[in-house]
Amino acid sequence: MFPIINIGPLAIQAYGFILLLSVFIGFWLSGKYAKNLGTNGDAIENGLLIGLLSGILSARIGFFLQNPSLFMENPLSLVSLTPTMLNANFGLLIGLLAIFIYAQKQHLPLWPTLDTLTPLIILVFGGMHLANYANGDTYGLPTNLPWGIQLWNAIRHPVQLYAIILAIGLLVWLLLKTQWLKHNPYPRSGTLFLFILVGLAVTTIFTRSFVAQKSQMLGLDSLQLLAFLLLLLSLYLIYQLSIKPQEHIQVFISLGSNTNPEENFAAIQQQIKDDFTFRRASSIYRTQDVKSPPANGSYFLNQVMEIETNLSFQTLTEKLKSLERDFGRIPGDKKVVPLDIDLLTYNNDVFTYQNKKIPNPDLTQYQYIAVPLAEIASDFRHPATGKAIAEILDDLQDKTTVIKIEEVENGTTG
Amino acid sequence: MKNRNFFIGATTLTVLSVIWILLTPTIFPRVEGAAQSTAAHPGFTAPDFTLSTPQDQTLSLADFRGQPVLVFFWASWCSVCKATMPGLQAVYQDYQDKGFELLAINTTYQDTLSTAINYYNTQGYSFPFLMDESGSVSKDYQLHALPTSVMIDPQGTITDVIIGSGMSEGFLRSLLDNMLAERE
Repeated sequence: MFPIINIGPLAIQAYGFILLLSVFIGFWLSGKYAKNLGTNGDAIENGLLIGLLSGILSARIGFFLQNPSLFMENPLSLVSLTPTMLNANFGLLIGLLAIFIYAQKQHLPLWPTLDTLTPLIILVFGGMHLANYANGDTYGLPTNLPWGIQLWNAIRHPVQLYAIILAIGLLVWLLLKTQWLKHNPYPRSGTLFLFILVGLAVTTIFTRSFVAQKSQMLGLDSLQLLAFLLLLLSLYLIYQLSIKPQEHIQVFISLGSNTNPEENFAAIQQQIKDDFTFRRASSIYRTQDVKSPPANGSYFLNQVMEIETNLSFQTLTEKLKSLERDFGRIPGDKKVVPLDIDLLTYNNDVFTYQNKKIPNPDLTQYQYIAVPLAEIASDFRHPATGKAIAEILDDLQDKTTVIKIEEVENGTTG
Repeated sequence: MKNRNFFIGATTLTVLSVIWILLTPTIFPRVEGAAQSTAAHPGFTAPDFTLSTPQDQTLSLADFRGQPVLVFFWASWCSVCKATMPGLQAVYQDYQDKGFELLAINTTYQDTLSTAINYYNTQGYSFPFLMDESGSVSKDYQLHALPTSVMIDPQGTITDVIIGSGMSEGFLRSLLDNMLAERE
């Protein structure tokens, strides 16, 4: 037990210090992950800070709502910096509400945002147990095991350390699975977050048995029961998101061609209508090559389409590749491109598959994708950041020109 | 194949969790009611002590069984202690006749007694001034920093241990209101 940490002449309360430190490291890791996933790290961080501040303030307000006479006697104590006089439940409620409202306003997408927060969640979970260890809180049952610790007049299970070890294991799993927070390995957003919840629920179910003071419910530990419900819910949601075959998946694709483009485009339109459920197509645009300076008279034709499919991401990618080959595309040849099909988005998910990022990063960089996309989906929001297509267009750095050359048959508005 | 692994994994986790939860009361029975053993932590019985005042009057914690007691460890060099004590005095005046007792234990083994007595007298405090000259009570209460406030309910069980400035006037009043309401 070490409730006070002495750093030189400073005596710091370990509990708050450890919590603060773990939140700080968690923020840092999640910020790094946000950058790699392409989610809106700044907005996520702001949302959490707003939640934290409004949570603390309303915890104090909640205390005085319960004890109004104390407020009447000394109104200034509303803003006193002591860590007591807090109603934790009320603070938690209002803090979560503030985060929810902020996330709605910023259009933060739920599952990609939760995936981004996985490092922070593990850090805070581990930090809370380490803080409890420092304070000697939620101490373990007496034991004869050799690793028992002397605490509160008995040799006890160091149960907080059991939880910390499991949390560290979970963090290592996360780091390996995401290749040091580089990307999301699961093609459905939210799966990673839910696997972490499963890990935390199992950790809680396992370690609570060793805790001396349990809150009883039906003769069982109520926290264990709560964690069990969380486990079932998480497994069910993983099944719904990732295991159950998906239907009617919305996919945006970008078509491009610089070799016999008119002919190729006419043919591919029909091919796609045959192979998929076709939803919408933009006009065809005449564009410049963005990757290399245009040769004499060379240009691209580009188009964005929305299709619907039941195919898994892997099967869909293979199918589109084989379509490209059918049109004579030689993989790796950047000069002669009879047909190029890029997957832009897949079902609002944010992930990496064989080093390809979905949503396609080009979507926020190039006119030849963003302009046709805006034409057919003016309500489009980026699956990772929640940014509206209008905002994406405003932020484009690409200065190449795109010219609409033809209205497509089914008539769309620009 | 991936789906089969998920189903096997999910079922195994669920079944093992159910078994573990149901067996917990049998494998890990609650061997102690914390209140039956003594330790300086919420939920345990407060360690007893007998100390004397500068006027050679001796007081024991056990004398106040049946009353809510705040044990407050302080020293005259501790500015946070001295910032907290006027609030405690105000509560003491209001709640003394409702049975509340405040025992201010001066950590005399690491303080200058004359300075402490002088401070106590000039402030006009009315709660008892106890001297921990050997440091043994501070040790029993695992004192790590000053001030440390230990709230003890009428049954002699510790309800709160607060290090630092947290035992403010408002917080102490809310604790006592709850404790006295329960007793009625």
